[in-house]
Amino acid sequence: MASQIIQLHEKLVNKEISCTQLIKEKLKSLEQNQYNSVNFLLAESALAKAKIVDDKIAKGEKIGVLEGIPFGVKDVFMLQGEHASASSNFLKNYIAPYTATAIQKLIDAGAIPVCKENADAFGHGSTSENTIFGAVKNAHNDQLVGGGSSGGSAVNVAKGYTAFSIGGDTGGSIRQPAGFNKVYGLKPTYGRVSRFGLMAYTSSTDCVGPIASSIEDIEIVMNTISGKDYHDQTTYASSPITLNAAPETLNFSVGYYSDFIDNKGLDADIKKDFLAVIEKIKAKGITVKALNFGSTDSLVSTYYALAMAETASNLARLDGSMYGERATADTLKESYAITRSEGFSEESKRRIVGGNQVLSQGHADEIYLKARALRSQIMSHFDKDFTEVSVILSPVSPSTPPSIGSSLKDPLAMYLSDIYTIGFSLGELPTLTAPVGTATGIQITTAKKQDELTLQFAKFLKEVL
Amino acid sequence: MSLEDLSSIKGATASKAVEALFSSIKNAALPAESNDFNATHAAELDDLRDDQVHNSSDLEKKLIKQNFPKEKNGYLVVSKVIEN
Repeated sequence: MASQIIQLHEKLVNKEISCTQLIKEKLKSLEQNQYNSVNFLLAESALAKAKIVDDKIAKGEKIGVLEGIPFGVKDVFMLQGEHASASSNFLKNYIAPYTATAIQKLIDAGAIPVCKENADAFGHGSTSENTIFGAVKNAHNDQLVGGGSSGGSAVNVAKGYTAFSIGGDTGGSIRQPAGFNKVYGLKPTYGRVSRFGLMAYTSSTDCVGPIASSIEDIEIVMNTISGKDYHDQTTYASSPITLNAAPETLNFSVGYYSDFIDNKGLDADIKKDFLAVIEKIKAKGITVKALNFGSTDSLVSTYYALAMAETASNLARLDGSMYGERATADTLKESYAITRSEGFSEESKRRIVGGNQVLSQGHADEIYLKARALRSQIMSHFDKDFTEVSVILSPVSPSTPPSIGSSLKDPLAMYLSDIYTIGFSLGELPTLTAPVGTATGIQITTAKKQDELTLQFAKFLKEVL
Repeated sequence: MSLEDLSSIKGATASKAVEALFSSIKNAALPAESNDFNATHAAELDDLRDDQVHNSSDLEKKLIKQNFPKEKNGYLVVSKVIEN
């Protein structure tokens, strides 16, 4: 699909549509949608911003490529004066006091946030069913889940309700819903985009990234939101991404993990289609190497041990004292306990309790510290693999989207379904879901800070398939 | 300390699904020389700034106060008794 951003920009510049008309149309489609993809509409502020763009165009002033372009914001980001619920009961009435850096950069470039999007509460889930706003329905089959945790964001892009959306990816939360809804979704290198104003889940893997219907739109958004941020000391300065590199500079060498593909849990059609993609790449004269990941048995456990430990720590601040819903009790301690028991969903409680279990005396050495060492081992393994190949391809998910309601009954199965996305999160690696090749797309991963190469390979892959 | 106290969640107990994940970690093989500091990270530790204090804007302060679950005369109200 061609760039939605460029198409809308040209329509605005050529006065085929006013910005106010455009925003009204998007707000109407978001409001009427039956997919549970939206938590809050931002009608008043969006229309005020649209008028400014229209006035500028009327005066004959030049507008930037993102000016007047409507986008969605996963409801785990701060946007000053607007709801920031994390799709949770706990924060259902919370109003953000400040704005996340990535969102502010887009607003500064003239893009217009039109809605806060439904997701799994606090990012805790892989289906966008763990939410007080109703399960997000898949854009292509409303009996199936929208994926998660950025399910609402992926559905809004797939249905054309937003030109692009900004999601958060801790263990696959951008890439998996992008695959389930057949759009592009990028988890950048850890630290390329500021996490300031993103509600913390697992601080050591949390990433902010775009979901869009084209690689060109991913490029435009990334070049706006990337960069070092005063408010997030894990960020670093980066150069703009250029998709149109000279062909002679694109000397790809491709790898894939054979133990990922031999996994018994992988759907037979996804496996067949993935291997067909590999053959098509080979047919273009590109070297493809089968690699061995080596620690798939403990991969999911390593991720979840660390994710639960960090989320238990991050969400300890939610006690109903200073913000959020509060249950009244005779003592402060009792107030905390009742507030947290009533405010968190079953899945969030499972992860918080698991995290405290991991960090408690007697378990820290055999679980938490061991998981950290295993992560270190995984990162070193990736470093070694990227001395042999420049791009690693993998499936996005072991199966196609499940029916709504089926995953909630089996949390362990839901955790295991993240097997193909979480390794690259632990590795801090840039990974893009491209909606090509298999029913849930293909993941394209490169070495740390090689986000540009990731997108360039996606462009190549689109042309090959 | 119990999981209920650690988590401040009433009736908190270990979940079977989570226990299954943790048993996999306990059984995982780890080379003897492995430690937590031998991986290279995208973020660099030699580029950190000093902590600095900034005053919030009036709007930010107003929104923070609006989010108080219980307020009296501009002050945040909490339970008088911390613990019995």
